[in-house]
Amino acid sequence: MGLPNAFEDLSSELEVDAFRRLFPLRYFERHLAESIRTDGRPLGKARETSIFLGAVASANGSALVKIGSTTMLTAIKMEVMTPSLESPDEGCLAIDFFMPPICSPIVRPGRPAEASPVVSKQLSDTISSSKMIDLKELSLVSGKAAWMAYLDIYCLDADGALFDAALLSAVAALSHLQIPAVAMNDDGKIVLVSDEDGRKQAQEPVNKEKRKLTLRSIPFSLTCILHKNYILADPTAEEESIVETHVTIVLDTSGQLISLYKPGGPVLAYTSAIQDCVALTRQRVKELKSFLDKENPDMEV
Amino acid sequence: MAGKGGATPATYSPSPTTDKQKPALFKEDWVRPDGRGFHQCRPAFFRTGAVNAASGSAYAEFGNTKVIVSVFGPRESKKAMMYSDIGRLNCNVSFTTFATPVRGQGSDHNEYSAMLHKALEGGIILESFPKTTVDVFALVLESSGSDLPVVISCASLALADAGIMMYDLVASVSVSSFSKNLVIDPVLEEENCQDGSLMITCMPSRYEITQLTVTGEWSSPKINEGMQLCLDACAKLAKIMRSCLKEAASDSKE
Repeated sequence: MGLPNAFEDLSSELEVDAFRRLFPLRYFERHLAESIRTDGRPLGKARETSIFLGAVASANGSALVKIGSTTMLTAIKMEVMTPSLESPDEGCLAIDFFMPPICSPIVRPGRPAEASPVVSKQLSDTISSSKMIDLKELSLVSGKAAWMAYLDIYCLDADGALFDAALLSAVAALSHLQIPAVAMNDDGKIVLVSDEDGRKQAQEPVNKEKRKLTLRSIPFSLTCILHKNYILADPTAEEESIVETHVTIVLDTSGQLISLYKPGGPVLAYTSAIQDCVALTRQRVKELKSFLDKENPDMEV
Repeated sequence: MAGKGGATPATYSPSPTTDKQKPALFKEDWVRPDGRGFHQCRPAFFRTGAVNAASGSAYAEFGNTKVIVSVFGPRESKKAMMYSDIGRLNCNVSFTTFATPVRGQGSDHNEYSAMLHKALEGGIILESFPKTTVDVFALVLESSGSDLPVVISCASLALADAGIMMYDLVASVSVSSFSKNLVIDPVLEEENCQDGSLMITCMPSRYEITQLTVTGEWSSPKINEGMQLCLDACAKLAKIMRSCLKEAASDSKE
């Protein structure tokens, strides 16, 4: 490679890069006119997605999910609580979403990102309204002890479509969750039963063996951005910063609509646009379900 | 552990039934929990470019201790900051809620941010980015002993990945002392019952130390032995870090 040639390559690259930073909208629209995204994807296509279960060894269930460069790490820790009087035979699921300062240049320590409580709330709402898990399955001794499942999601790299990735990692971690075998001792405290000494104990086992939760239906989501007449699935952070109209659709595995979220934005979503988004989501749900099934061959839904 | 005080009936994690005595770690013929030799480090794994959103980043894994460090900048300093000829370094270390065996205990280590800052400061050519700030943020994904040394080594790799000018890579290793024995790169169980601990952060190619902390009871010959152990380990660690950087550079060329 000759030197002058290399220099020329560099200069032309710089120009495109400068154009991209100075006129993001024009750069974006020029690509759209050619029916292609700035990262080379077709409009309706989501980024490459991967799921890895069991990423956190010390947790009862965990998953690492990547959609493009957006990365989410979820771990579930099971603790014991006294159930409330209103629902003595139900456990509890607490969902938290964190955006630590490592994930994005806009998050600084001590100043939590605006998006994180929003996504947190959206996730709890989605998972509870999808009736994915039966809280009665988390009961141990009626009125005395029940499981409190802490589901914590950490965004390790924020590059758009945070809710989609967070939801996928949450359901993946729930599908990986193993409820430990426990017994109640004389003081009414719940203790772990390990395999070798389980027999000798005179304690009454309340959860005889490790088990998995039954997942009744699994919610999956797809976020689209609307710009003029274009619908773009699974936006990157760059695209999200240019276009303000987002639509997030959550469907379960049987194709039922669980939630639809369109937080304002300058573009009105006509029925036809919403229908197109739902159609894209339907395709995506199939794809995501097959990814999750591949990781979890013994899961039945 | 579970029934601490009568505060609001928070939750507790079920502990194992058998109330075994804490294994006496420092008997004559004890073996380390992971079967390593006393002077043997855990296998170290480094990878740069873990976080795309950052200017530079690195992931490090030493046994079950896993950390990610992102570097942002050099970028505009906070508005309230005074003018400065040299660049500023801003460090923060945080833990995930599931990093520790008991949920949410990682936040006890507020001093780590300041120690990371002091450890790196001497290695960075601050004059190369005047008026601006470089942010170094670390997240401990899983904590399993020797967290701070791993964070420091990983941070210097992330700085190199971000193209921040440094005098040398900064590597860090700690040893724990148990009566007569010195144990390098201790795991959590060992750290919990150590008599003393010594941590060295150094720039191996310049043979300069940026940080040295000693806690607990130490005799001078033992300090010497511990320092020599750490310095040797740092030199080896820096080699691994260097080869990780070289690998990343040759990958990006292709």
